[in-house]
Amino acid sequence: MAAARPGGSSGRGPARTSRLWAGLLVAAGVLVVVALLSLSVGSKAIPLPEVWSSLVNPGTGYSDVVVASRIPRTILGVLVGAALAVSGVIMQGLTRNPLGDPGLLGVNVGAAASIVTAAAFFGAGSLATSVWVALPGAFLAVVVVFLIGSAGRGSNLVRLVLAGAVVTAVIAAYIQAVTLSLPDVFDSYRYWVVGSLAGRDPALALQIAPFIVVGLLLAVWIAPALNAVALGDETATALGVNTVTVRLIGAVATTVLCAAATAAVGPIGFVGLAVPHIVRGFTGPDHRWLVAYSALLGPVLLLVADVVGRAIVSPQELMVGVVTAFIGAPVLLVVVRRMRGAA
Amino acid sequence: MPAARRPPRVAASRPVLRVGRFVSLPVSSRGVAVAAIALLVLLAVSVATLTAGRLGLPLAGLLPALVSDPGSAEGFVLSRLRAPRLVVGIAAGAALGVSGALFQTVTRNPLGSPDVIGIGIGAGAGAAAFGLLWPGIVPLPVGALIGAGVAIGLVWIGTGRGFSSPSRVILTGIGVSAMGAAFVQYGIARAGREEATVLAAYLSGSLASRSWQDAAIIWSSLVLLLPLALLLGTRLRLIEMGDETADALGARSNTTRVLSIVIAVGLSAAAVSVAGPVAFVALAAPQVAKRLARAPGAAIVLSAVVGAVMLCVADLLVQQAPFGVQLPVGVITAAVGGVYLGYLLISEFKKGTM
Repeated sequence: MAAARPGGSSGRGPARTSRLWAGLLVAAGVLVVVALLSLSVGSKAIPLPEVWSSLVNPGTGYSDVVVASRIPRTILGVLVGAALAVSGVIMQGLTRNPLGDPGLLGVNVGAAASIVTAAAFFGAGSLATSVWVALPGAFLAVVVVFLIGSAGRGSNLVRLVLAGAVVTAVIAAYIQAVTLSLPDVFDSYRYWVVGSLAGRDPALALQIAPFIVVGLLLAVWIAPALNAVALGDETATALGVNTVTVRLIGAVATTVLCAAATAAVGPIGFVGLAVPHIVRGFTGPDHRWLVAYSALLGPVLLLVADVVGRAIVSPQELMVGVVTAFIGAPVLLVVVRRMRGAA
Repeated sequence: MPAARRPPRVAASRPVLRVGRFVSLPVSSRGVAVAAIALLVLLAVSVATLTAGRLGLPLAGLLPALVSDPGSAEGFVLSRLRAPRLVVGIAAGAALGVSGALFQTVTRNPLGSPDVIGIGIGAGAGAAAFGLLWPGIVPLPVGALIGAGVAIGLVWIGTGRGFSSPSRVILTGIGVSAMGAAFVQYGIARAGREEATVLAAYLSGSLASRSWQDAAIIWSSLVLLLPLALLLGTRLRLIEMGDETADALGARSNTTRVLSIVIAVGLSAAAVSVAGPVAFVALAAPQVAKRLARAPGAAIVLSAVVGAVMLCVADLLVQQAPFGVQLPVGVITAAVGGVYLGYLLISEFKKGTM
């Protein structure tokens, strides 16, 4: 299978590759720094040297306790950020459009619907945040959106987005009907639906990690094929890529990643849209590099949003879902403004 | 040379309504008939709303009750519970129907609707901001109006070309809606439980507890803007044929488009400020009206009546349905409207017109 390796807009071959590897190391470094920042900022600000010493020699002092309480949150942020960003890469690769975001296609809402259904009809009234509960709704939403959006000849992004908006509206109406009828469910739902890294059960990170790892592996596996798909279906088939299989695996990977992320922290949008878009400016269109960079920079964006949410209204907190919406939506608007020929 | 023939009889031209020397409107007889039937349906639904259920007035006593105050219990049900709600529902449905008809005609797109450009969720964000976060500065409907205005402004700036490109408007509108939704959810999460439930109901469009003040707001907006929309009728029919053709025939397409959008936004904002963001009535009513009227043009009056019927039927269902809790009317319109819209999307995609 011929994996496309573009010459790139600047630099050729080996020089470009080593630049990309260097950039990857820098991205990893930035992630470490941001993670430490996430452990340090908050209603009780702990200076970085103390954070470092608390990690290296865990003690029982006050700052050690605070740092320890922020660790699960940071780990969750890393996992969820990576999952959302990589699922965005896949979605944009499958739809051949830089505006693809899994949230726009109803995955998050579908996951929320099945979680609410489980809580209302099968559970004890509190939102069970198991990934297995979130998966059926997420898959159902994606399938319906693709069925509607692909009716007739082919599908482009606007059609999928419209189908996604319709499915989202219907599912949201269902969620409203259920939550307004059951006040207990409504109470837990309204805290969960904003999308927040705070107050989540530390064991959640362990629970969603396998799903996210599986999703990331699937993404890495089909990344070379996505390069071929980007050239068009006929060209991809001529290059020996089975586009149907690639689409299927891609859809599965996206749904699993998003469902796991949503089940853990609630629906968070725009990370999947903004991160690949920013990354593409540096790496070019090669999906292997896109996946690698997005897996590192997605957590950076999410943790930065979380830190901002903690810093802005200290000592209270602004949930990370709100911050990403207010950062990511303007990014979308800027991208749409710059789009040419999308009349 | 063939014998002189009598000139062929001209086919009967469309009937024209003339009033005095100044008003001359072409009228479609089928349109008038359908509108009359729709008005009868609206009347039936109104009567049903007032008489149904445990608290309903008896049918025989309805007319006397409307004329004079019938006494404590029935008077209360009529004047406080059901009548204002019904009156608001009729006007809000009509406003949404006309607004959708205008949008769809000037964008030449059956999916053009104030719903997708974020008016509704902007109003919700305004309600969240001025109802929960900064209460007491402005009354809630005004706050909702401000939010709707901000949302429209953001969409207008965000597309980079104003409203002239439908796909851009849709994408930008979805982005703005996401911001608004995040803001609203934040408001609900921050609020106390009682306020949060009230706000959540408002966000999906609800006619519960509407007052005569709300009725005054929406009816005055409707009375002001509906005739303006009717005046644009001829130009709208021409715009359907494309901008160049319309300009050549004397309908200034740019001016008409701007005027139509201003009127449509005004109507939609008025409806949203009294009833919240009721989903899909603005989208579905004009489509149904066009299919019933089978005439070119925007079918404005028929869209108004169909919109009113849709909203009142949904409200009737919500009031009399056997759920434990009375749901907001927007939930029903979103569910039914969403399914209808999905069907519409599929047929448009298959026809390749999108």
